Amino acid sequence: MAEDTAPIVRIRELKKDSVNFVLENVDLAFANSVRRVMMADLPTVAIDLVEFVTNTSVLPDEYIAHRLGLIPLVSTNCDEAIRYTRDCTCMRGCSFCSVKLELHVSCSDDTTLEVTSNHLDVVPYVDDDAVDTGDEIAKRTANFGHPVGKSDPSVPPILICKIRKGQELHVKCTAKKGIAKEHAKWSPCSAVSFEYDPYNKLRHTSYWFERDSKTEWPVSDNSKEEETPRDDEPFDFNAKPNKFYFDVETDGSLGPQEVVMKGLAELQTKLANLLLGLKPTDEADGGGAGGGGGAWGDAPAAQDNAWGGNANQGGWGGGGANSPARWGAGGARSAASGGAGSSAWSGSGSSWGGSGASPANSNAAAATTGGWGAGNSSGWGGSPSQQTQGWNV
Amino acid sequence: MSSAELVKHHEEPEEFGGYFVINGNERLIRYLILPRRNHVIALIRPSFSNRGPSYTQHAVQIRCVRPDQTSVTNTLHYLANGSAMLRFTWRKQEYVIPIMLILKALVDASDKEIFEGVIMQDYENTFLTDRVELLLRSFKMYTMHTGSQCLEYLGDKFRVVLGLPEDWTNDAIGMWLVDKLVLVHLKSARDKFRMLLFMLRKLYSLVSGSCSADNPDSPQHQEVLLPGSLYGIIIKERMEEILNAIRTTINIDVRNGANVDFNDKKYFAKVISRVNFDIGAKLSNFLATGNLVSPTGLDLQQASGFTIVAEKLNWQRYISHFRCIHRGAFFAELKTTTVRKLLPEAWDGRKNLCVQLDGAVIGWARPAVAVQLARNLRIWKTEDMNNVPLDLEIGFVPESEGGQYPGLFLFSTKARMMRPVKYIPNSRDDQVGSFEQVYMDIACTPEEIEENVSTHVEHDPTNFMSILANMTPFSDFNQSPRNIYQCQMGKQTMGTPSTAIQHRTDNKLYRLQTGQTPIVRPGLHNKYAMDSFPNGTNAVVAVISYTGYDMEDAMILNKSAHERGFAYGTIYKSQIIDLKDVRGASKSSTPTLHFGIGSDIRLNGENAHHCKEFVDRDGLPFTGARISPGDPIAAYIDDTTGRTKFIKYKGDEVGYVDQVRLLGTDAGDAELQKIHITIRIPRPPVIGDKFSSRHGQKGVCSQKWPAVDMPFSESGIQPDVIINPHAFPSRMTIGMLVESMAGKAGAMHGLAQEAAPFRFTEEDTAIDYFGKQLLAAGYNYYGNEPMYSGITGQEFAADIYFGVVYYQRLRHMVLDKFQVRTTGPVDPVTRQPVKGRKRAGGIRFGEMERDALIAHGTSFLLQDRLMNCSDYSTAWVCRTCGSLISLGYEDVSLGETISASTASQGQRSLQPTGPGGEYCRICRAAAQEQDERERQAVATGQHLQQQQGGPPQADINVAISSQHVLGSRGLKGGDLDVVAIPYVFRYLCAELASMGIAVSLEVR
Repeated sequence: MAEDTAPIVRIRELKKDSVNFVLENVDLAFANSVRRVMMADLPTVAIDLVEFVTNTSVLPDEYIAHRLGLIPLVSTNCDEAIRYTRDCTCMRGCSFCSVKLELHVSCSDDTTLEVTSNHLDVVPYVDDDAVDTGDEIAKRTANFGHPVGKSDPSVPPILICKIRKGQELHVKCTAKKGIAKEHAKWSPCSAVSFEYDPYNKLRHTSYWFERDSKTEWPVSDNSKEEETPRDDEPFDFNAKPNKFYFDVETDGSLGPQEVVMKGLAELQTKLANLLLGLKPTDEADGGGAGGGGGAWGDAPAAQDNAWGGNANQGGWGGGGANSPARWGAGGARSAASGGAGSSAWSGSGSSWGGSGASPANSNAAAATTGGWGAGNSSGWGGSPSQQTQGWNV
Repeated sequence: MSSAELVKHHEEPEEFGGYFVINGNERLIRYLILPRRNHVIALIRPSFSNRGPSYTQHAVQIRCVRPDQTSVTNTLHYLANGSAMLRFTWRKQEYVIPIMLILKALVDASDKEIFEGVIMQDYENTFLTDRVELLLRSFKMYTMHTGSQCLEYLGDKFRVVLGLPEDWTNDAIGMWLVDKLVLVHLKSARDKFRMLLFMLRKLYSLVSGSCSADNPDSPQHQEVLLPGSLYGIIIKERMEEILNAIRTTINIDVRNGANVDFNDKKYFAKVISRVNFDIGAKLSNFLATGNLVSPTGLDLQQASGFTIVAEKLNWQRYISHFRCIHRGAFFAELKTTTVRKLLPEAWDGRKNLCVQLDGAVIGWARPAVAVQLARNLRIWKTEDMNNVPLDLEIGFVPESEGGQYPGLFLFSTKARMMRPVKYIPNSRDDQVGSFEQVYMDIACTPEEIEENVSTHVEHDPTNFMSILANMTPFSDFNQSPRNIYQCQMGKQTMGTPSTAIQHRTDNKLYRLQTGQTPIVRPGLHNKYAMDSFPNGTNAVVAVISYTGYDMEDAMILNKSAHERGFAYGTIYKSQIIDLKDVRGASKSSTPTLHFGIGSDIRLNGENAHHCKEFVDRDGLPFTGARISPGDPIAAYIDDTTGRTKFIKYKGDEVGYVDQVRLLGTDAGDAELQKIHITIRIPRPPVIGDKFSSRHGQKGVCSQKWPAVDMPFSESGIQPDVIINPHAFPSRMTIGMLVESMAGKAGAMHGLAQEAAPFRFTEEDTAIDYFGKQLLAAGYNYYGNEPMYSGITGQEFAADIYFGVVYYQRLRHMVLDKFQVRTTGPVDPVTRQPVKGRKRAGGIRFGEMERDALIAHGTSFLLQDRLMNCSDYSTAWVCRTCGSLISLGYEDVSLGETISASTASQGQRSLQPTGPGGEYCRICRAAAQEQDERERQAVATGQHLQQQQGGPPQADINVAISSQHVLGSRGLKGGDLDVVAIPYVFRYLCAELASMGIAVSLEVR
């Protein structure tokens, strides 16, 4: 029975910018939540502020700015390697919460020059007004914030605009961290394919047909995973979907592995916060929180084992081993900050940011992100730093 | 100029001209529908019988055109007594002449000649012989027998009207009249005579019912007034006016006894200098206003609206200005709709017959001969033989019982509507006109050719459609009105108006920044190079009712698609700043205002003026500056005060300075006084903006859902646009469904799909063609896909029609239309809120709205809307007389009271006032009067008459309930109350009082 209920993840194909996997033994709601989180809740960096020094191209400033914003930037390990500007202590942006890029192209040839994402260069902060210190910068990869595929000749660059002789484009950009709920440019996914029940055994849908449904409707490739139903098979009206076929395609800012893993982690965080918020105030500082965390710890553990089962992904297995412990810590931490946090849930939301920040930082072993201090609207900004161990890509 | 040269000169690379640039606008002369020239049409109009006694409703009419394109219309009216009257117009005045007078005057014709000419051997036709006899008899009363007698008679009668030289004989004037006003397309009198006989014959035939009336609203009897012709006509008339003016000047000189010497060049120079020679000004006025100022009216039915501005809203609108033909201003005012009927001839098949060429009778032929003649001419013209031109129109009208008057009518003049088709017998190109094609059998497609019936075949079945109509993909699948709607909406689309936007100075330009070429487009899209002017975006469209926000033609946009630039648009607006028009500018030639920022404005340091973000030191705005309403966009220094002043941005939206143009003088030697600023206003799509597909399916964006909430297909594709399935059943725009399939298949296979109409048949259907492509791409044959709810992840109970449709963004945007008001400006007279969006006014809560609230019983809301939120005011009302407008004040605060007028008697020194010193002037005056009368009664010892003083009786009584009484009765017996009333009511009372009507309020 345990095998039946334990979630299973089976990776069918892993490419540079897409991963195809099957998720089994989970609720439809859970599967869809994973899909939604991957699409909309993972932080990446994208150009958010553009300062125009010179623009003599034919395109208006705001249009070029918009195009720049949509260029995917390498955002590996984004939730640790950079802060949200709103959480940062700096006044006008600093190296902890933003990446500076510059583009300066002028055309002196008779031919049209294509200004592409390859012309965007990351520039170091000169007048960094960072007030405090942190290890964010140390957690960045070498090409953090660079346009995706910049040093890779096999990746065609993204066209920004075309300029002719005598025209010039000189812009200074500030890339910031954000999520796709705010703007689609921060979405790491270009498309998330999602399917269940390819034979429509559950009869969730009804196929419209002219003469014969079977000949007119193409069956998807995912049907190979399932048994072809017999014609006389009785309809099981209690059946629920439990096998979901995913294909996550990213724009390159995050690797597909990272998208899936961080998506799951993000979902956990959200649920943890929800649990925390649902807890009565008097229980908040008791051991109940830890119990709650433990209960939730089961599912990820099984899941991580599944990932670990894949020989290629040895590194992830380590993360899996850690996971119950992680959750324990996470739960404890939640409890610690719960005293302040739960009142925020029940009453005034404003008290969350200020009071929540300090207990979180003091309790968590490696927590420096200040994620709990989020003044952001959703109230669950950032993920616990512990979870990122072991699978930094 | 070549395209490269045009671009070098900052023009459109495909500029085709055809317009005049007037005050920065591109104006063009419209094509106008006119009656076909030199062709006799039979008319039956009941209004003709009102022209005079014995006039009937029958007439024939011909619009005769001279070689210089000026025209004269001659109408031949049938009279009840069998005779006919010729009507023409001279200087906007109508004249009628008996036809016999003209016939005789033309060729000195004998009665027999006329009789034979009309009857043409058809002696059995007693109807005809009787009429002609009556015609001839009726002329006997004039006792004129010879042509010269008739000419003299005409000359005598028209001498004053025509204004010809006084020394001309009556004979000459008569000749001139016949020459210049009767059948002017013909030169010789004999031709005119023959044509008049033909007209008479046609008229009698119309009266007898053997031929039917012609429809003047049918393109068969219409031609087009070409801009060049109109322009030439106007020039001719102006020249005529000048010559007349010269003659008048000389006449005056002669009469005044001035020195008139025709051999003296100086004298002529003097005369000419006194005459206004400015034809150019007259023509530019015509082009700028479209108004025709003419003493003759030029035989046209309208005097204004000849020119229009070619709006560059988008390319489709622009190009349609050059292609459309106007039906005339009178058409728009017509109440009947019969003229709007679509006639088959608008689509692009007896005894001796009359053969006419351009309205001249060139002979008579038997029907068989006429048919042969027509066929020979047709072959000659298509094969370019015997000098028969290709554009000859061979209108053979066969004999019929009560049909159109038969004959062989040839037309070779200009301004006719013609179109190319293929002549089947020799497979050559042929040009077919609107007159002849009614009697021709033209097959639409080669498959439709019928043996021995079809003579012609269309080059392309889409030839009958305009450019715009041709741009609709699969329009043959749509219900026809939807295609018309699309033609309207294509012209309102926010697209690409021009490729030279940076060099244009239009007041307002709409531009779609993220335009795409349609995946599904008809072949003509490429032919007309529409790709240079993208007009919309290929949108992934799901036809599904989702979240309810797509009801009633609303559509849901994918917020993430919007964030990636879907349908992102821009408006360019212009503002001209001319220092000459600014207040304080000197009228003299040396300007006292100069662009720039003076030293009185601090630009550095802490207290720097905020203008430094927008305006440079030269007083001109920075390009690229972001400006909000009220921000300075230019600065100038006034010499007289030495101070710097700013000119503010007038718009009500945030924009960016796109360009600044310095407008100098032609010589370029004057100081800069005028600048032109182009402001770029970004307009991303917002809720309330209007979109449409190319099938007359318009909708308003009602919600923007984030991508995660949008439904998705198994492959993870999410729609950009969601529309409701209810948009289809009643509108039957199947073309849109086909486009959706074709777009999807085209996107999957990387094809630009051919979408011209009439390419598919019942056997070879579009569904099958695109369905197979979809199958090959792994989709369902019919374009459906199972989809999942983005919110729950559950598969929808039905599969969803999902494809790619080209969407246009229309220029109607909420940001230009929304109207909100809480409080704001009020009308100074009524103190009610003003109307109009521009003035921040309200929307009228009218009578019917009032009725609704009354019927609904929501009286508090009613009072709130109509009084408290409108013109609520408080007023003093006198309890005694009920007057609203009789308030007077005594300044109690100063301790003053006015004594009674008869203070000398010292009886009463104090008058009653309210606590604030208020009193009713009417009641006080009445009381004083009564007082006076009593005193006099006492003084004279007479009895007081029973004439009541008191307040005068009011004409109108209005009861006002106690809840409106705000203040209580005055303590000192002032008798005044404060009541709440609408301010207009007080105004009404004052107005009525000015007319001597008193209004009394009864306060309960």
